[in-house]
Amino acid sequence: MRARSFSVPWFTVLNVIQLTIAGIVVITPTLWMVLSSFKPSFEVTAYPPTLIFSPTLENYASLSQTTPFLHYAFNSVLVTVSSTLIGILLGAPAAFVVSWTRITWPAIVSLVARMAPGTLFLLPWYVMFRHFDMIGSYWSLILTHAVITLPIVLWVMLPFFDGIPRSVIEAAQIDGCGPIKIFRRIAVPLVSTGIAVASILAFVFSWNYFLFALVLSNAQTKTLVAASFNFIGEGATNWGGLMAAATLIALPPLILAVVVQRWLVSGLTLGAVKG
Amino acid sequence: MLDHKWNSKFVTAVFAGAFGILATGLSAQRSMADDFNWKAHSGETVSFLASTNPWTSAVMKYKGDFEKLTGITLRVDTYSEEQMRQRLVTVMNARSNEVDLFMTQVSREGMQFAAAGWYRDLMPLAKKETAPGYELDDLSPALVKAATFDGALVGIPLNIAGPVIYYRTDIFEKCQVSPPGTIDDIAKVAAKIKKCDPSVTAFASRGLKPALPYTFSVLLHNMGGSYMKDGKSNLCSPEGKKALRTYAGLLKDYGPPGVVNYNFYQLTSLYRAGRSAMSFESSNELSSIMENEQRLGDTGVMPLPKGPGGSHPITIGWSLAISKFSSNPDAAWYFVQWATSPKMQAKLALAGIAPPRKSASSDQAYKTWLDKQPVRKQWQQAIDFLAANGNSDVAYPIAQNPVSRQIIGQAVDSILLGTASVDEACKTADEKADALIAQQ
Amino acid sequence: MEKKNEARLELASLSLPAMIYTIAMIGFPFIYTIWMSFHATTAAQQLVFNGLGNYSHLVSDGEFWHGLVVTFYLYFLSLALQLFFGTYLALLLFRSKRLPGIVRSLFISPFLIPGVVTGMMWLVILDPSLGAANYVLTSLGLPASDWLASPTWVVPTIAIIDTWQWAPYVALIVLGGLQSLPPSVYEAAEIDGASRRKVLFRITLPLLLPTIMTATILRSVDLLRFFDLIYITTQGGPANASDTLNIYGFRVGFEFFQFGYASALMVTLSVIVLGAVLILNQLRNAVAW
Repeated sequence: MRARSFSVPWFTVLNVIQLTIAGIVVITPTLWMVLSSFKPSFEVTAYPPTLIFSPTLENYASLSQTTPFLHYAFNSVLVTVSSTLIGILLGAPAAFVVSWTRITWPAIVSLVARMAPGTLFLLPWYVMFRHFDMIGSYWSLILTHAVITLPIVLWVMLPFFDGIPRSVIEAAQIDGCGPIKIFRRIAVPLVSTGIAVASILAFVFSWNYFLFALVLSNAQTKTLVAASFNFIGEGATNWGGLMAAATLIALPPLILAVVVQRWLVSGLTLGAVKG
Repeated sequence: MLDHKWNSKFVTAVFAGAFGILATGLSAQRSMADDFNWKAHSGETVSFLASTNPWTSAVMKYKGDFEKLTGITLRVDTYSEEQMRQRLVTVMNARSNEVDLFMTQVSREGMQFAAAGWYRDLMPLAKKETAPGYELDDLSPALVKAATFDGALVGIPLNIAGPVIYYRTDIFEKCQVSPPGTIDDIAKVAAKIKKCDPSVTAFASRGLKPALPYTFSVLLHNMGGSYMKDGKSNLCSPEGKKALRTYAGLLKDYGPPGVVNYNFYQLTSLYRAGRSAMSFESSNELSSIMENEQRLGDTGVMPLPKGPGGSHPITIGWSLAISKFSSNPDAAWYFVQWATSPKMQAKLALAGIAPPRKSASSDQAYKTWLDKQPVRKQWQQAIDFLAANGNSDVAYPIAQNPVSRQIIGQAVDSILLGTASVDEACKTADEKADALIAQQ
Repeated sequence: MEKKNEARLELASLSLPAMIYTIAMIGFPFIYTIWMSFHATTAAQQLVFNGLGNYSHLVSDGEFWHGLVVTFYLYFLSLALQLFFGTYLALLLFRSKRLPGIVRSLFISPFLIPGVVTGMMWLVILDPSLGAANYVLTSLGLPASDWLASPTWVVPTIAIIDTWQWAPYVALIVLGGLQSLPPSVYEAAEIDGASRRKVLFRITLPLLLPTIMTATILRSVDLLRFFDLIYITTQGGPANASDTLNIYGFRVGFEFFQFGYASALMVTLSVIVLGAVLILNQLRNAVAW
């Protein structure tokens, strides 16, 4: 309503101009990458850079020959989806409790993992998982990636639970419902948007993380992002393959973001103010 | 009774021994052929940590052959060099048997890994079970020597490589210059090219801090310099200073913008795009350079010309090593000897992997392959020169060789960027290197 | 009373799994690293106890202090750029309510792309000799830049790349804050006839401060541990111009094999990040409304 009073024509024009410039800045690099993926490998670094070229699907076709691309894609999906699930299953109830009791230290503790450099964890985790004979199993990846997803879920969910009117909960308490019952029957259905938003963000961050997989995975369990390093090597650099792989790796998070764009913004709305 | 039995055993043993010696004397090959069994480890699995490299992609085409021949399952995990090393370091630090085999650059990490006790001595394995016709002696003696630490052979060379100059014959012709005959000539040639065709980069080489000692070392040795003398860092010797000044100067005056970050892939992209006249880079990059065949007709290859100290090219290569913590070294050794056999290396040579064996580089099929393109012939000639005269002394001969590479790189880069004079740069490097040497 | 205990038990059972999991997963690595930081690593990869030796070495290590300076330079520069452009983009998107959803998601797309991918992509684009960036600049008659290869420009360039990637994330958070601002304050301003600029600086931005602080905390945690992008593009170069603490610690461990000293560096960095988060959290509480 307020916005309308400002939408005088000159202002709209100015806005469109700014939006266009911002849009170009944001989208051009990505577009360049996608464009490059359709170039013959040597042309990616050709000079002057070519805008008009005969597009080829060769880079995409060769992906499955040079690497077990589909297998790695499967690994990525498995690890990402599982770690997101664990994040939700553990993080959502914890967020509910933090919101209920106003005791915030569990939320802080969950963030501690994010305050240390990722490399700090590599060696100890390798030692730890080796002790349990879990190196090269999907579990070592799923469990470590859940360390990334859990705090995201917890922090994103927190304001959603805060947003549930106190009266609703009090009414349930009077009916004799305990916290577990309230959580399952009342709170969860009310925060379904929050769960969706948390899942998306957890998915994106887990999908994009490469450091843990670099050390804890092997040829069978390697994820896409960890495998994307393999395109550069002395005498074996394949820029075209790299750009094609990069485009495909970026695709799932992008598609998800487009699909749930509305929720993403409205979800973070709450998260930002009260989280 | 007992005595009798013992006696008869003894006699049999003596006879067998005598025949054995006799047979060996007659034909070592045949006796080994008789007992060598490729299927001895059938059903076992070995895991191999490999680096993204032309050798890896070439050999993996024959992976099925190996598995069929031996019945061994080979699990390969490929990473680009740095990520591979990162993973290897973690695995080895945890003393894990997860990795049986790995690729290693002994010129870089050999002493470091050997000191950490991560390599298994391959000599006993080679003596115990080696297929006929393997011919350990046929491998480049320089590379075998470089892979030997305290008498232990830690890796079998897979390829031979070293920095060479790729140069544009057409530009040289157009500018009426001939290839440099000495190190000092490089700057003269570059100056002429810069004047005659300012649109191309006259001379390019590595500028990235940890990567440049590979190319810089040749220059230092040819200048007559050395990294260490009498147990002390020697970069501030007149030869060392001249090498620093020359290398940084060439890149500064004739190199491309941003050369300070240049590693092999920028150099290759630049040269392939026709934007550099001389590129001092690894011989390994030939296939990448020729990828679109644009440079096929106008490229020459030569070693770095000699300097006041003569000609001492760098010759290194990747090696195949077996982990100390491997629980299956015997089966792993089967892969090593299969992958580095004369027959295999001759096959790989046809994919452009310069073979570290005399027999493979003189193989007829390889010769035919070389004859197909003049540039290949020149390339092999340069490599032959490297093989005959080369050493693998990239950076300081100490266990902390990787740290010393950073120190050298820092010295060159600070001169190149103008943040330090040659004297300051070499002094800082000497101090840091001496501290490292003292730690040893 | 009994009911209260029961409720408490139930609450505990809801939150304990997450707590146990977190402590199980990060407890061991922290203890291990702290323990390692009191040891020296020999060439044979044996650990020798040396007390606070690593920490006293750290104090006299020029490269540590250099790393600290680079870390904070990059931190403040990136943070300022990201907060500015993030807020700007959020205000822009907030005013453009009729923008289709798909276009909106394009605006926030950069942070969804893996850092590995963006790093390599920018490496190609910013190559001083062959990259598209300099080609465009010189074609327009502007001076070319060495970007990541210039010791003066490398940190700003990395900050720009990181801003390209993460300002949209900041924008998303700020956009959320904008949408939840109470309409009543605007109505009051409208009645007073305040100018647009006045509304922005006197009302909108002050009210957004807590949201911006949240974004600041979230970005600080990542920026102080800056790693991915440098690992992929410059590895601390040219020379050591972009050598952040995290990159330096990584190299000391995984390239130089001095895991004891590397652990001391990583523990120190963790403490720095934790300290920053605590300070920023206090600040956020101070501006909360």
